[in-house]
This record gives sequence, C-alpha cells and structure tokens, in this order.
Amino acid sequence: MPKLTIDGQTYEAEKGKTVIQVADDLGVEIPRYCYHPDIGIEASCRMCLVEVKGAPKLMPACATPIAEGMTIRTNTERVREAVRYAMEFLLLHHPIDCPVCDQSGECWLQDYYMAHAGHDSRFPLGQKTRRRKAFDLGPLVKLDQERCILCTRCVRFTRNVTRTNEIQVFNRGHNSEIGIFEDRPLNNAYSGNVVDICPVGALTSSDFRFRVRVWFLKGTPSVCAGCSTGCNLRIDHSARAVGGGIPGYTATDGKIYRTVGRRNVDVNKSWLCDEGRLSFHALERWPRLRTAMTGGQTRAVIQLLPSIHEHFESIRKAYGDSAVAALVSATHTNEALFLTKKYFEGRVDFRLGREVELYEQRQDDLLRRLDKHPNTRGALDLGLGGEWNGLSGFLRRAETKEIRGMWISFHPQLVGEDAPEILEDLRELIAALEFSVVSTTHDFGWARAASVLLPMASWAEETGTYTNYAGRLQITNRAVMPPGDAQPLHMLMAELLKLSGVQVSHDPDAVFDWIRREVPLYSGVDHDAVGSLGATPAQPV
Amino acid sequence: MTPVKGGYAVDVPVIHVSERARQEHATVWSTFKAFGVTLRRLFTSLFKGDTPTIYYPEQTRPYSERFRGTHILTVRDDGSLKCVACYMCATVCPAECIYIEAGEHPNPEIEKFPTRFDIDMMRCIYCGFCVDACPEEAIIMSREHHQSVYNRDETIYDIEKLMARPGIDAKGPGYRPNRPMAEAKIFDKETQTVCPIPSVIQERHPAVLYESMIRRRD
Repeated sequence: MPKLTIDGQTYEAEKGKTVIQVADDLGVEIPRYCYHPDIGIEASCRMCLVEVKGAPKLMPACATPIAEGMTIRTNTERVREAVRYAMEFLLLHHPIDCPVCDQSGECWLQDYYMAHAGHDSRFPLGQKTRRRKAFDLGPLVKLDQERCILCTRCVRFTRNVTRTNEIQVFNRGHNSEIGIFEDRPLNNAYSGNVVDICPVGALTSSDFRFRVRVWFLKGTPSVCAGCSTGCNLRIDHSARAVGGGIPGYTATDGKIYRTVGRRNVDVNKSWLCDEGRLSFHALERWPRLRTAMTGGQTRAVIQLLPSIHEHFESIRKAYGDSAVAALVSATHTNEALFLTKKYFEGRVDFRLGREVELYEQRQDDLLRRLDKHPNTRGALDLGLGGEWNGLSGFLRRAETKEIRGMWISFHPQLVGEDAPEILEDLRELIAALEFSVVSTTHDFGWARAASVLLPMASWAEETGTYTNYAGRLQITNRAVMPPGDAQPLHMLMAELLKLSGVQVSHDPDAVFDWIRREVPLYSGVDHDAVGSLGATPAQPV
Repeated sequence: MTPVKGGYAVDVPVIHVSERARQEHATVWSTFKAFGVTLRRLFTSLFKGDTPTIYYPEQTRPYSERFRGTHILTVRDDGSLKCVACYMCATVCPAECIYIEAGEHPNPEIEKFPTRFDIDMMRCIYCGFCVDACPEEAIIMSREHHQSVYNRDETIYDIEKLMARPGIDAKGPGYRPNRPMAEAKIFDKETQTVCPIPSVIQERHPAVLYESMIRRRD
C-alpha cells in the first residue's frame, strides 16, 4: 500500500491505481473529459494535469500510476493555467450551439468553462471549422461532429466494452473526426450508453432528443425492471409544471422522459442495454387503467376492497381455505409479494412461464438475461414457488373447481412481449373461476372478463425492493405518481390485511422490517442498509 | 429643496392637508363653484375643441415603444419561424405560462424548431422576461392589449396566433431587444404568401379575429 500526498493530505492507496482513481476515492476533484472508470485510459484531453513533485512536466492524473511517496498538487497556478489553456483549445472550434444543443444543462464543457476557464474566445466566430451536423449513427444515436472534442470515450466503449468497434476516429490532426463506416451503423444492443458517456453534446439520443430540456428534469435513483440483472439506473422525470394550465400537460402525474445508467461496479458498471433504457416506453404502449371496474361499472378502489374481502371470506367458509389463492408475477416488489403471501396464507404463486429456469441464464456476455422479470429470485427467496406449479397448476385446479376465488395480479413485461399463451391461459383461468380479482396496470381486453378489475401502479410508480439474479437486494423508487385511482399492490394487500384484522403499514420500509423478522435470509438488512447501490444479504448458515 | 421652518423652500408645492381641508370645507358656495367649473369646461370643449376625452377604441393614446402587450413570434426572411425552441423563455417565465414542444428541423444547421408554442395569456403577467431571455430575438411584444374572447380556450395563443394574427403589427411592435432587429421580422401577409403553418394564410375577414366572434351564442 503506497503512501502518497495529495494537496498536503497524506493517504494510503491500493497499488496499481492511477492518481485520478485515488483522487476520486478521496473526493479530490480533478477535471476530466476522456477519463471514464469503465472504458480504459486514453489521456487525450489534458484536463486532468496535476503537478507531481520531481517530474519536470505536469502529469495526466488519469494515466499516472501512483508510487510510494508521491507528492501531488492539483490546485497550483501552473495546473490552473494548463487547464485553462486546455479548455481554450477544446473550445476553439466548438460551435455556439448551446440554446439548441440537447446536452446543454448537463454539458461538461459548460461546467468546466464556468469552473476552470472563463476566458473570452480569441478566435473569430465566422472562422470556426464547420463539420457535419446531426446525422444518425444508428437507430438510437445522433452525432454532431462540430461539437465533438475527440475524447474518444465512445470509441473506447465500442472497443473495450461491447467489442463491436463501430465508432472510430477518422483522419489525422486537425481533420480527425469521430465517425462510423458506411455499412456498419451503431446498432449493437448497448449503443445508448455512448450518449450517457459523451461529456459534450456530440452524441445525442434520438429517443430523448428535443423532448425536454434537462433542467426541467428530476432524477430519481432506481433499478431497471427489464430483466433479472437489475441494472441500476436513474429515472429522469418531469419535476416542474412547465406551461402551467396548458391542456395536454399533466403537472400532477409526472412523466418519465428518459432513463440513464447509474454506476454500480458490482452489477452493471455504468451501462444499460438499449431494451432496458427504452423499457419505460412500455408503460405507454397500451392505455393505462385508471379506475376500478366491476360488472361494467367504475368504482373507487377503496370502496371495493371490503366487498372483495367478504367474497373471499365466503368462498373460504363454503369450500375451505384452499379454494382461494393468488397468482402474482415476478415483476412485483418483495414487499408486495410478501403481503400477498400473508393475506392468502401462502397460497400464492408467481410462475407465469419459465422464469425460474431462465433467471440465471445470460442473453449475452455483458448484462442482459433471458428472464424478463426483475424479481424472480426475490419471489423464490420468499418461498412463493411452492407446490402450486404456477399459472398452469392454478388453471388445472380452477377447472376442477378445487380453486374458486383468485386474485390475479398482472404486470406486463417491460422488455419484449408477454407470451401469447400466457395471456390465453389467464383468460381461461378467469373464465374458470367463480370470483376473480384482476389487478393490472393497463387496460387489457382479457382482464375485462374478471369479476373485479383493479388499477395498479407500475414500475417507477411504487417503492420497494427487487432481488436480482444473484440475490442482491436493490431499491426501486417511485419517480412519478400512478395514474388515476391506481395503487401499488403492497398497499392494496395492506388494506386487505387490515380488513382481516392485521394492522400493516403502507410504508414499504416498515413492510420490509416485517419481512426481515420472518425471512431469515433478510434478517441482516433493511432499506437503509440496501441504500442506493443495493446489498447482498449474507447466506444463512 | 431645503427644509425651512414650516415646510420646504419653494420649488415643490407643499400641501398642508389640514389647511386645505379647512379651506375646502363644503358650503353652499362651493357647490356653485363646482357648477361653474362644469359650465366652463362645457364651453371650452364645445367652441374651442379642447376635449379631454378621445373616441376610444377608434382613437387611442400613443403607447410607449416599450409597451408590453401580446407577444409576437418573429419570422425569418422566408417566412418560417425564427424560434429554435431553446426553452429559454419557458425557463425564465415566472408565471410558467409558455409551453413548447420541439421538433427536428429538416435543416441540420437550424436543427430545432417548435412544433407547438403556446402561451397562456390568462396566466401571463406581461413581464417581458421571455423577450429578454430569447437569444434569437424570436419573441417580441406588441403594443396590442385587447384580448377579449368568448371562450376561455382562446386565451391560449398557439403559434398561428402568436405569429400572424390579423392586425398583428397595427399598433407597432412593443417591448423588444434594445437594438435594431438583425434577421427577424414580423410576419407580413401581404408580401409573404407561403408559410409553414398553413392556416396562417387562409383568407379571413380582417375584423373577425376568432371564430367565436361570429359564432351564435345560445
């Protein structure tokens, strides 16, 4: 463990790290464009220059390995001057595009100009080099060559992370520019990440482009619900009522505009797959269910719950406890699954298809997994995969009248399509039941046949925990409000439990405390311990 | 204006409120004095033409060059909107009355243009911050301030109304950047026959601003 001094403070750091990594760990700020922790080192932007004692020249902090007794200074006049000149060179041919540039507001050029440069341009505006503007690199990414500062982050991403090598630097010297070969568009499954890592407005997302200015957005840390990997992401959603009373703009419900990868070294580094990145659009694929319906009439959810409880109780009385059961899906949070299990006294299953076989299998060698449900492992850990044998088992039991009343909670897959045979089985299951309650997020045709149809909050509208394929517990947060009367499943279940005489808090944190007391696996963790990056509970001995 | 005993030295008329109240103590005599004033004004206005009133709305008093009235969206020489949908006005707007939706412009040099630009005139407080914030002199204000409508929906002005409502320039431009406008101008129906917003050049009686004015109310 070499000791080194940064700005007068002495630290001990792991051997093999570079200066900028140590500085990041310690919270010493060094400006950078080309350095990104997950894509390899280039040292081309010259923004991270620091003064190292004994070295005649300034050293790039991102490419200088630490050594015993190193003395580093990051804020001397020499360093500040070098950074100022580096900024002036980077901005020399940069267009004055900020008002129409999509990166504006989260642009590193803007930030570092205000923090480290602040110069007046010495280059006449009319003589700036013009390059190609706004053209497609692939289905999700647009490139503006004028705005590029040639940090080559995107080049290194396609070289070192996806290993597809679509983006390259062409030409030399002042003529060098980022581009793709004509016959090889940037269409790999992770292409959206180059937009996230581009520090300037050169690479913009065709999906998000021009939809909103970033300073209107509020970021909520959450977890992707697209597959069992559970990549960490940030949901950017509307925070302020732009346009006030203008019709068509809903200020209260909120709207998700994009999702951005959130760095978590243990799960997804900084990356998201394109399917997961765009998975929030799935919430708009069908019309949302806004009100509860029974017998063709709309009713308030809170009025319906007592009658649902009475129906279940009467079926239980007439045909025994085993005549009532619940079918949920692995898209629900642990809290919702646990409360459902409590209300239906263990007669719950979550298997719609082949989740349990697939949840650990990789779809590719980076992130994606074949099971498109975020919480299969969590449902298994809560003991929901019992003898009921999933949807097909319930269907068989309903047809033999072994089960007469059921709660079916369905959340469509955010990535990909739900298998049509699952929907067909659900339709048959509803038809075979005497009394069926379907809680779902969208207004599906097959669900209309149910005795009671309840609107439910979807991903990004409820707080809770998911357990990913590796058993890592992660928090998904509420970013926007559910539409209309919709409520998260754990709140519906808490209300039903209250009717059957058990007082349960609506707060997912408190529900998790209950899980912790009852499920030995989770005994060591709570929401605070899970935090923003998740936690893997120790396996019980 | 130096303070002296009992008041201020000359140049400002000093009003002693209690003194004046005592002088203007209402009597029968002061009533006749008031009749006298009325009579005098009658004769001066009848024979000298010295009327203090004007025939509003046919006549109006001159408004300031910097009057902050209904907004105008300016256009380029080819009649297309100058606005690049940068949202600066929507960002600075303290009343949050501007709603913009941006679209991809076919010309990558312009890149961005508003597919929707609405101002809620009922919400607007006419502070002129949007004009100050605009980097493209694309939004200016006019000296027009009549916004009577029959229907609340019509107080939300869309691109068409903001850009080329009838009589948009009749009273002249109001609050705008304090320099001659370089590339922007106000849309002129006479010279400009092609417009990206097609409804702008449809023929309409100049007196009828909005459909609701001729719609029969029941």
